Formats: sequence, structure tokens, C-alpha cells
Amino acid sequence: MRSWRWDVNNYSVIGKRVPKLDALDKATGRAQYGHDLNLPGMLVGKILYANVPHARILNIDISRAEKVRGVKAVITGEHNPVHKFGYGADNTPLKADKVRSRRDEVAAVAAMDDDAANEALALIRVEYAELPPLYSAEAALAAGAPLVHEERANNLFLRYNYAHGDAERAFDDADEIVEEEYFLPYVTHAAMETSFALAVFDLQNRLTMWSTTQIPFLLQRDLSEALGMPGRDIRIIQPTIGGAFGRGLDVYPFEPICALLAKHSGKPVRLAFTRDEEFFATATRQPAHVKMRTGVKRDGTLWARDASVLLDAGAYISWGAVTPLVMMETTASLYRVPHAKFVADVVYSNNPPTGAMRGYGNPQSTFFVETQMDMLAEKLGMDPVEFRLKNANIPNSETPQGLKITSCGLRECITEVAERIGWERRSSVSSNQLSVVSNQSSVSSNQSPVSNPQSPIRRGIGIACTLNVGGGARIYRSDGCGATVKVDDFGRVTLISGSTEIGQGSETALAQIVAEVLGVRVDDVTVINSDTSVKPWDVGTHASRTTFIAGNAAWIAANQVREKILDHAAQMLNVSPNHLEMRDGMVRVQGDAAGKGIAYDKVVRAMHYREDGNVVSGTGWYDPPTKLVDKDTYKGNISAAYGFGAQAVEIEVDTETGQVRVLKIVAAHDVGRAINPMYVEGQIEGGAQMGVGYALSEELQVREGRILNPSLLDYRMPTALDMPPIESVIIETADPEGPFGAKGVGEMGGNPTAAAIANALYNAVGIRMNQLPMTGERVLRALKEKERMENGD
Amino acid sequence: MKPFTFFSPRTLAEASRILADHNGNGRALAGGTDLLIRMKRGQWTPRAVVSLNRIAGLNEIALNGELKLGARVTLNQLIRSPIIREYFPVLAATARNMAGVQVRTLATVGGNLCNASPSADMSPPLMALNARAVIVGAAGERVVSLDEFFVGPGKSVLQSDEILRELIVPYNSRAARASYKKLEHRAAMDIAMVGVSVAVEFQKAEFGNRNCADARIVLGAVAPTPLRAKRAEEILRGNILNKENIAHAARVAAEEARPIDDVRSSAWYRREMVEALTRRQLMEIRDLRLEIGD
Ligand SMILES: Cc1cc2nc3c(=O)[nH]c(=O)nc-3n(C[C@H](O)[C@H](O)[C@H](O)COP(=O)(O)OP(=O)(O)OC[C@H]3O[C@@H](n4cnc5c(N)ncnc54)[C@H](O)[C@@H]3O)c2cc1C
Repeated sequence: MRSWRWDVNNYSVIGKRVPKLDALDKATGRAQYGHDLNLPGMLVGKILYANVPHARILNIDISRAEKVRGVKAVITGEHNPVHKFGYGADNTPLKADKVRSRRDEVAAVAAMDDDAANEALALIRVEYAELPPLYSAEAALAAGAPLVHEERANNLFLRYNYAHGDAERAFDDADEIVEEEYFLPYVTHAAMETSFALAVFDLQNRLTMWSTTQIPFLLQRDLSEALGMPGRDIRIIQPTIGGAFGRGLDVYPFEPICALLAKHSGKPVRLAFTRDEEFFATATRQPAHVKMRTGVKRDGTLWARDASVLLDAGAYISWGAVTPLVMMETTASLYRVPHAKFVADVVYSNNPPTGAMRGYGNPQSTFFVETQMDMLAEKLGMDPVEFRLKNANIPNSETPQGLKITSCGLRECITEVAERIGWERRSSVSSNQLSVVSNQSSVSSNQSPVSNPQSPIRRGIGIACTLNVGGGARIYRSDGCGATVKVDDFGRVTLISGSTEIGQGSETALAQIVAEVLGVRVDDVTVINSDTSVKPWDVGTHASRTTFIAGNAAWIAANQVREKILDHAAQMLNVSPNHLEMRDGMVRVQGDAAGKGIAYDKVVRAMHYREDGNVVSGTGWYDPPTKLVDKDTYKGNISAAYGFGAQAVEIEVDTETGQVRVLKIVAAHDVGRAINPMYVEGQIEGGAQMGVGYALSEELQVREGRILNPSLLDYRMPTALDMPPIESVIIETADPEGPFGAKGVGEMGGNPTAAAIANALYNAVGIRMNQLPMTGERVLRALKEKERMENGD
Repeated sequence: MKPFTFFSPRTLAEASRILADHNGNGRALAGGTDLLIRMKRGQWTPRAVVSLNRIAGLNEIALNGELKLGARVTLNQLIRSPIIREYFPVLAATARNMAGVQVRTLATVGGNLCNASPSADMSPPLMALNARAVIVGAAGERVVSLDEFFVGPGKSVLQSDEILRELIVPYNSRAARASYKKLEHRAAMDIAMVGVSVAVEFQKAEFGNRNCADARIVLGAVAPTPLRAKRAEEILRGNILNKENIAHAARVAAEEARPIDDVRSSAWYRREMVEALTRRQLMEIRDLRLEIGD
């Protein structure tokens, strides 16, 4: 347990809206992204994709490609050591024997420029013997289905089987039961910066790779597996990264391919995805087919829940295969439910390989859990808010799954959003018909609705909640992170953190933590976090963990420095170190603001310039007090803290076009403590935007293993004009384990949005959408279907 | 991108001569917002790119009984032009709902039409306004009604040496009342799933008179070219613009559409939306007529 020697109401930088350290560089275009890098002699790398779904490779002819002017290397699976890598140990950089999806990498070229590389790719001839393809998880599980990976007995990669209580039996004692089936789509990160790698070997055969990865140290290990070379000879550098959202949680074939091209050409090779590639060659969120039923007692007590999930992982397994761990958490522990069962099958197919994406199973599970909560409330004749409050988790409790819930502001979140959205209007809002505002995109919630009985516009209000790990997540054996803090002669404080910055702002939050401990300005702190040969080890940025885990590590390291400085200052001032504090750049006697003190950099100089001097530095390591889940029961406390949230939305439905427009989102999230409220809001707003896309418009359309809409035009992320005002409410519960009480918030914002919108849609027009996204077309079909049923034909 | 020669002539005659010399291997360049994308993707590989940007007079907007709209007028120009806003508000409104602000500063009306995409937003309202295209080529000048301008997806009547110089749009009371609605998945940066434009002319300019003298209904993105729903127009012509007739016309317009299934929408939904958007716009015209007269 941390002991905070600071007065909560008297922080100097914690809780302040400090701009990101790199904000100016980014806004003015000075920040150096991978795409901006240029090394002397650098070549362009490009990949040839199979574009057949399932086939044996008979022959690859690269002879004409090699002759193209400017081409320096052409490689295939034949020419290269084939080492398996990945979570399923089932992938190779280039495929030598067979291809299992259309995006399988079969050859690669390094050339002087894009045109030469593209010309060479077009001249490579591959002969295939096609095999019967599997285009769905269902087809892959059917008896006699061809094998995607022939060394395996069948196409089922993994079954998760979780239970607490006795769900089977408990349904007999439930007073009301709802049972539904859900279809959740492929969606993709579509980060602003596309995937990038730049590889170069030195003369000692050591590899340096600049990368957009989120897991530099695991990439080091994974690359060593994929390339068959020692990890110690691999150095990963992360330039400024323009977003990732889970895309960078695994090693993917383009990374070892880039290294192999560098090796074969003897030159630095840059491999940067085009926007098309970003859509078809990065791993997407798994599509899911879900069946779930939930039972309640008459008094509104949640009683039993039973979910089964079928996940189409595609041709290769990534860490995305672990998302059921998160889904089962929402299913079994978002609310107190005494009996729960959850089964998930992760299945190979010849569809595009899938991976991790922000929320990691949670947007999916929150959608089905939270829409069923509303259905149950309706059956019980209970208000959905009241029903949720009744079953909500409470602080200092342990769920049957073994989650140790310490700080928990779920109830505050629920009441807060209900009040701010005007929940009491819910029963009347949908019967007020509004007139059409002629410009379809300029409707805003501030316009006073004009009552018009003929109007096709209906309004609705909905709510949904979320639970998310907020204190790391032990999915690897270590959930640790290292940090070093040092201070130089001029008072410049440097934090060397193992953590990874992908645009989320964690590096400034970490600087704020260090600045608070040392009583310096945030501007006095430099964060170094981009080079595996410099920074201490860390698992990576995922599971909303960086501020919590890396923040605790930085806190520990900074405190060591603080103690050293205070000890020495005590000698200089001839007082006890216990009476000293560091604040405003000074070391002085506590509470004696006017009294004499010494500038901290002066103390540091004094420590350097003396006979038995030393560097003024501290090193912290933080690995949270958590456990891997039990490998058979999947129970255990995976995270040192849990974040909670609730979102309420008001929407408008055009019943003639089926189109849904979100008018307002109120989002309250329990983040323990906001180290920087601006970043918390940024995470909530960005999350909600992904949530609106997931709800209404985003879907990678995959037919016969092919992605039909690989473009920012036809993969429709909401634009600024599609986003309603978002009112973010930060609930602070001061977590006992978090740095200054903070918990993670990186993923939560997007979890409940789709469910809240679906619940609002039901409130507005009485239809339940169990398939995402809820496009105008799908909503219109459902409305027509409802009309048909009501007319009894 | 494949190498090409870039020309920037000062006259239309020269531009059309260069295009003629390249015999189908040349392309005119206006804003480039369609052209460059195709060239970068390797879909088009012209040997000559002929910029229209130094040719004088192509970006004029002038009202002199009829509207003269230069082919190189940009979408932003339309949005800002007092003439367009006052007398042809549908064109400004349509432009405002296209693309995003950066694209609108480059994209031109002529480019939108000559690109001949079935979903191009400018085609339906300009057809509804009965516009004519003035075309200049090696053989001289010709005028073609926009009704006859489009031949198929990506194909217009323009020959490889021909350039669209301007559009002539008649001005009458219908122009003030025309409207265009586009159904899109999101509020900006989107291509129409369906676009419908309607223009109605009433028999008498007296308050409350709802007898239709003429009506034009043009459908976008539901056929290989923008399509006039002529049977639906016929239902309204000479008849009263009331709820029943409007519903009937909208239903018939939906029948006339020839939509397909694609990644943006199903044919079923497109057809439904033709009906909804047609009905909605005609009702709006009717309601306005009841409220404020002509
Ligand atoms: C991000 C984005 C969003 C878009 N959104 C929309 C939208 O909402 N709605 C929509 O309809 N379109 C949209 N477009 C497509 C495009 O912007 C428009 O079609 C635009 O009007 C094209 O004009 P341009 O001047 O850029 O044409 P260019 O690209 O210069 O030319 C297009 C074609 O027309 C030919 N051409 C151009 N001018 C002439 C002329 N005077 N005579 C003969 N031939 C000519 C060219 O040779 C070329 O074949 C969008 C494009 C982008 C990139």
C-alpha cells in the first residue's frame, strides 16, 4: 500500500490540466513519426499477398521481379528460415507451404522506390493448388471440415470454460428469463498513422528496428523467435507513434519480413503500410456469434447467466484469442450474479487473421450484457437505472470470479449520468414526435423539438455501464514495469520509463507524477521511453495499464530520489529529513513556506561535487499484487484495481430512413483519481467516438475471406460532425493501490456506448437490435418487421 | 504513378488540341480530386494531363436571364456565391453537403459531372434545373442537355478531345424551390447511397395554388447514370400537389429506380429511400406553398 504524504487538496501538479509535453511538436508537424524517418541508402519494402483464401503453394517464380531496375532483394518462404511465432505459434513471416487467408504474405521486395517495388511485385508468379476454404467459425467446426493448420487435430484453437455457482440449475429458480442471440462485426483500429517498421542490421549482425509497436520488449522476444536470432541482438526504437488501439500488441509478419529484407539487401529497409494495407493486412477485432440468457428474481436480483461465444479468429492466432477472459469478466462480474457460466470457442478459419483492439472483448460483452439488463428490467417492470443500482458492485467486495474490488464508484456513475441526461424524461421522450429538420446532418439537441404528429422522428434515452481492469491485467506472467529517475546538475529531471507512448498522453501523466513527488514543474521533467537499449523492461501498453503500473514504478523511483535529496539537504540545513519537504523547486522545512530553503538543483550539485559523491537517481519496479487466472477455472484477481463507468445517451431515429443520430452522451467514469483531467476526458471522448462507430456505422465487410471496404470512405468512422456533445464526468474514488489514487481509463470510454445507444433505440421505437452496427438499413428493416408483426401478417 | 506529361494551356482550343493529339490517352485536370486518386491507384494511366487551371473564364458565375456556371467553379465558390445562394439555393446546399472543406476548395462542378459517377451529387439537382452543357472540342462547340449528357458509369457524351466549358441553367420560380437530399452513412465525407432532387413549378403564382405545371424528379446512385423518374413526374404534372399524389409519385419513382446491391447499401434499401426522399421533399415543397405562397 502506498502511503501518501501529500495533502489531496494541495497537489501542485496532480489533477491539473497540463498540456501534453509533445503537444506543440505534434500540432506544428515537428514530431518525428516513423513515416518521417529517412536513413542513408534506405530501401522501400513491399509485400505480395496471396489473394487466395486457402491453397497449397506449388511454385513461386521471382526471376522476372529480380531483374527490375532498382530492386535489391526479393524473398519468399523458400529462401528464408521458417520459424513459427505468435500466440498460437502458428505463423511464419513468409508462407512456404500453404496460404490460409487472402492476406497471407507470400513474397516481399526491397527496392529503391515504390514504383520499382510495385513493378517487381506484379511480376512475381505464384502457382497455387486451391483447397476448400472455410469462411466462418461455424463452417470450420463442422464435421469433416478441412484443416486450416494440418498439424492440428481440428480447427478449434481453444475453449474457455468458466462457471461459478450452478447456472444450469439456477435458471429453474429464476422468475424471469431473457435469451438472445447476437452477431458482432469485424471492426478495425484505423489508427491515424499506418503500421510501420524500419529495419537495419549493423556489421555485427545486430538488428535495430524502428516500430509502431505497443510492446517493444515482447517484440524483441517475438522477433528473436521469428528470425531465429538472439533477442539481445535486437534493439527496438519507438518514434512518435500516431495511435495503435491494440494493433501493436503482437508481432505481425510484416515486422520480421522487414528485417529479412534488410538482411538480404544489406540496407536499411522501410516498410510502411498504405491505407489499403492498413485495412486488409492488420489484425481486426474478431467477429462474434453469441448466445446468452439471463435470469432474475421477481425482486430484481440478478440470479443466473449463461453465455456462449463463438469467435472467428481467422487464419492465425494472436493475443486477440485471449479476449474471452475479458468477456467473461463482464458477463460474470459487472454486476453481482450468483450463478454464471461462460463458454467461448476460438476457431481457425480462412478469414483474415484477427487480433487485439481497444477494450479487448469488452465492447462486445458489454453490448450483450447491458442490452439484456434493459430487457430484464422491462420484464420486471422495473426502472433500468434502479435495476442496475440494485445489482451493482460495491467497494471492498470480492466477486465469485475472484476479482477483488477495492475502490468502486459504479453507483455514483449511474446516478450521475441518469441525472444529467434527464432520466425522468425517458418515459415521455419517445412519444413526443418531432418534426424533420430538413438538413439531415445539422440536428442538434439544443434545438427545441417541435411537436408534429406526422413527423417520422422519434427520440429515446438509454443507459449502459462498464467494468474494466484499471490496475494492470496479468495476462503474461509478469505485469511489471521499470523506471529510473535521475536529476542532473541543472535540475533537469529525467524519467526513463519502460512504458510506451502511442499518443494517449501517458508520458505527460508520468511526468506529472514525478514532478509532484519532487516538487518540480512538469516542464522540468523529460521522459525517455522509446528505446529498448535504454529503458528498463515493461510488458507494453495495453489493458489500460500504463498510468497505473508505470506510474507506480515512476513514483517509487522518484521517491528514492526525493529521499536522497532530502537526506543530503537535511545535512546542509542541519535539520531532520523528516521535517523537510520538496515543493516549488525548493527543499525547505515543512509548512514553513517563507522560511529558508535550498533549491533542489543546488542540493544535487552538492551531492555531485564532493569526495564520496554519487549520482542522484532512483530505480523503481512495480508489479501489481495480482495473479494469473487459474488455468482451469479462469478465476483469480487479474487486476489490482477496477475501473467503472456509466454512459447515458439521447438519440433521434428517423423512422423513414432508419437512421440513428446521437444527440448527447453523458459519460461518468470512476478513474480513482484524474492525474490530468484533460487526458481522462480525451480517453472518454475518444472511446465514446469508437463506441458510436461500433454502434452505428463501422464494419469491415468480409465476404469469402475478402475485405470489401478497405478505405476510409467505405469503412465509416464517425466524423466530427457525427459526434454529439459529450459531457464527461470524472468520478474520483482514490484507489488505495494506484499512483496518487489513479486507475486506468484507456479503454473504458468505448465499452458501454453501443449498448446505451441500442437501449435508447428501444426506448425510442421499440426495436431490439442484436446485430451491430445498427445501420439505417438494418433499423428500417427491423421497423418494417415490427410493423408487420403488429398488423398480424 | 505512371509517368505523364503535364500541360497547362491558356486557351480551350489549345487544351482540346493537346487532348486530340493524345488520342484518348489524355485527361483534363480540374481540381484533381477524382483524377489523382485514380492515377495513384493505377486505374487510369494517362500519358498527358491537361490542366484547365490557366484558361480564363472557366470559373465564372453569371446570371443574365439564365445562369452561366463555368465548369471550373469550385464547390466552395458555389457555397459562397451570392447569385447561387439567392437564386439557386439548391446548388449551394448540395455543395455544402459534399466531401469536406479541403476537398471542396479543389473540387469543381465540371469535374463532378465529367467524372460521371452515378452517385455524383451535382448531377441530380442540375438535371432537375434542366441545365445544358456547353462542350468545346476540336470540331467546335455543341450544347447538350444534361438529360442526355450521361451514358454510363464513368461515361459521358464527351469525346476524348472535348472539354466541358460551362453549364447554362434556366432561371424560373422552380429554381428557387428545387431541393436535393442525399442519404449517407455519416454527416460528412461520404458518397450518396441515394440522392434525390425534385423541382416543381406551379401553374399560377397565386397564394395557395398547388396545381403543378411541371415537375422534375431526378434520382442519383440508383442506376448506371443519374435518372429522371419520368413516370413519377407525369403523375404530378397538371395535378394538384397533395398528399395522395405525392405518395403515389414517390412510390412510382421508387419503381423507376434500378438500384444494385453493393458495399454501401442494398438495392432494397435504396429503393425504399428513393420513395422516402422523394416524398419528403415534395411534402416540404407543398408545406412551404401552403405557408408562404409563391
Ligand atoms: C475525400 C473525398 C470526398 C468526396 N466527396 C464527394 C461527395 O460528397 N460527393 C460527390 O459527388 N463527390 C465527392 N468526391 C468526388 C470529387 O471530389 C468530386 O467528384 C469533384 O467534384 C470532382 O471535381 P474535380 O475538379 O476534382 O475533378 P477532377 O478530378 O479534376 O476530374 C474528374 C474527371 O473529370 C474530367 N474533367 C474535369 N473537368 C473537366 C472539364 N471541364 N471538361 C472535361 N473533362 C473534365 C477529368 O479529366 C477527370 O476524368 C469526393 C472526393 C474525395 C477525394
